Amino acid sequence: MAKALHVPSDAEYADVSSQRLLGFLFFLISDCVIFGDFIFSYLYLRDVAPVWPPPGIERPYLYLAAVNSMVLFGSGATMHYAMEGIRRDRRRQFVAFILATIVLGSLFLAGQAYEYTHLHDTWAGSTFGASFFTLTGLHGFHVLIGVIYLITVFIQTLRGTYTQQRHFGLTAATLYWHFVDVIWVALFFLFYIY
Amino acid sequence: MNEQSAPVGTVASHVGGHIHPPPDSFVKKYIFSLDHKVIAVQYFITGGLFFILAGLLAELMRAQLMGPNNHVLSVETYNEAYSVHGSAMVWLVIIPLLTGGFGNLVMPLQIGARDVAFPWLNMLSFWLFPPAGILLFASFLFGAPQAGWTEYPPISLQMPFGTSLWCLAIFLIGVSATITGLNFLVTIVKMRAPGMTYTRMPLFVWATGTTALLSMIATANLSAALAGLFIERTFGVPFYNVARGGAPVLWQHVFWFYSHPAVYIMILPAFGIVSEIIPTFVRRPIFGYKMIAYSSAAIGLLSFMVWAHHMFTSGLAHWEQLLFMALTMAIAIPTGIKIFSWVATLWGGKIRLDTPLLFVLGFLSTFTFGGITGIMLASVPADIHEHGTYFVVAHLHYVLFGGSVFGIFAGLYYWWPKMTGRLLDERLGKIHFWLMFTAFNATFLPMHWIGLLGMPRRVATYDPVYAGTNEFVSISAFVLGFSFLIFLYNALRSARHGEIAGPNPWGARTLEWMIPSPAPYYNFKDIPIVLSGPYEYGAPLPYANIRQDLATVPVH
Repeated sequence: MAKALHVPSDAEYADVSSQRLLGFLFFLISDCVIFGDFIFSYLYLRDVAPVWPPPGIERPYLYLAAVNSMVLFGSGATMHYAMEGIRRDRRRQFVAFILATIVLGSLFLAGQAYEYTHLHDTWAGSTFGASFFTLTGLHGFHVLIGVIYLITVFIQTLRGTYTQQRHFGLTAATLYWHFVDVIWVALFFLFYIY
Repeated sequence: MNEQSAPVGTVASHVGGHIHPPPDSFVKKYIFSLDHKVIAVQYFITGGLFFILAGLLAELMRAQLMGPNNHVLSVETYNEAYSVHGSAMVWLVIIPLLTGGFGNLVMPLQIGARDVAFPWLNMLSFWLFPPAGILLFASFLFGAPQAGWTEYPPISLQMPFGTSLWCLAIFLIGVSATITGLNFLVTIVKMRAPGMTYTRMPLFVWATGTTALLSMIATANLSAALAGLFIERTFGVPFYNVARGGAPVLWQHVFWFYSHPAVYIMILPAFGIVSEIIPTFVRRPIFGYKMIAYSSAAIGLLSFMVWAHHMFTSGLAHWEQLLFMALTMAIAIPTGIKIFSWVATLWGGKIRLDTPLLFVLGFLSTFTFGGITGIMLASVPADIHEHGTYFVVAHLHYVLFGGSVFGIFAGLYYWWPKMTGRLLDERLGKIHFWLMFTAFNATFLPMHWIGLLGMPRRVATYDPVYAGTNEFVSISAFVLGFSFLIFLYNALRSARHGEIAGPNPWGARTLEWMIPSPAPYYNFKDIPIVLSGPYEYGAPLPYANIRQDLATVPVH
């Protein structure tokens, strides 16, 4: 028994994507709370510690993280231009910039992997390591998911899933990517500068 | 014509009016169902089973406490019993029944929607719930948690593998609650029937919306806190272990930052149920609709600012104690507004003492009592003495049992006909109520005074001076347990012998009563248009585009 495929009208699509957009924003809020919990924990542990950083802890390397931050913020910019490409129906602009975003995101992950393997601190070694590796690890996991997500929507776009008018999946990917950027601003300040 | 009076700007989320055919296979219909009504029933059945298990744990504890030095349970098993009892009642019974059960069953119908915004997520939410419950009860096989439902370190860090299972179980239920909250909030914001402005929403929808917001934000925080506890236990990552620079009080902060809002996640939907039942059985408009609605929102907001009142004995600074004391007492204001509005609605009304209203009256008396002891506990000087005694046990059972569970039963008696198409037996319902109400008070009222006398909670043995009272409490607790069997019998009996309810057995005015019972698969054949608020008894029904003959008031 073949079921007739229901193709939504423009109005239905707009309706459903406005629901999904709100749902996605709510998801980002609850995700933000999860980061917020660990950030609170970090600040709390830092506050009750007699000396900070705990004895024998080396602070992570600022310059590497600074370069890595530039890579991530750059990927935010390229994501923006990729989205502009879809909105104006410039396919080649979209393809170029989303590929750049994927590359930059992967570079960030590589930078983080380098940092993790060259730090002497460990996750279970101290309260600093606990917060640092939990938060940056959680963030790196978000970046990884983001890269996979971007590759998926890229392939979907090539197959014609998204058009100038109908591209909720891309909007969500962009929001997610900017969200991950903003979280990184907080983490960069907390762990490398503060 | 009528559409003219529907205000512009509300969301008409039903463009096209596309109705999917109902699923044809058993699995899609009853197991992996996407239908909010079926999912609600799944929540009720699963939550009901966990209620029986968690209730049996309570009866075991009372058997141990029959005498001062009983050996019914070992000390360790007693600790495990109260820890799992508390965790299960909070996370596997009250929260899933009120949000997943009533929220799913009633909220989409009351806003005139065909389902929630994301039916697939709704199904996922439900299917995270049974595994969570199984993990929690399976923890008995590996040494169940012994630090109470709050699982304070350092004890929770020292216990065997069962506590890690507890973390996983609560994490799953937390994810489920977060998803449900998100889903319901989008549904309420985006899918109300045309004409249903925020101030025309039934009060249960207001309550469910506020609860959804709290679930979404607070429960995400709980998930993070649990992840912290889990990785500390599993990988030795120091967050809460003071020997390694961590802070046990940090756990208390992050736990209560969730768990105080969770108190309102457990009571706001019950407030909503009460606000629906009172006007229906008094046949007059609810007093202070807007005040009740906005006080829900105020409670939701305040609930994020009071968590540290659970920590007055944990070494907070003096100014912190005073701040949290004042904020906590401030919550009594919106709560009091609700209580007075309900009493004012009852005042001078034509009261029909059917079972749902009886449970609501039970709720009003016991919950108000629990609220007053809450104010006592909120004041720092009193709390220093009462903390960790049976006074706290009495208080929390007056709000969670006297409040939430009475609310759940009120809602069950009220919406049972909408869920099943048949009425529950009134006579059995009244016997159930009076037995449960009497046994409840006989069980928990004496705990106030043995608490004030200094009997500590969470200990398997006690000083023989408390023996007489404890024996009385235990016997009452067994009667209380028995009273639920009456409900169970009534529920099973109604399947065969229950009176056919018809669409609107109580003569209520909210949208769920404007359609047949049980509600058809697509809920509303045509999406209704809402012309004014739902509680204007005496005025014509405020709906257009709906078959009026379904909504006639029966002679009852």
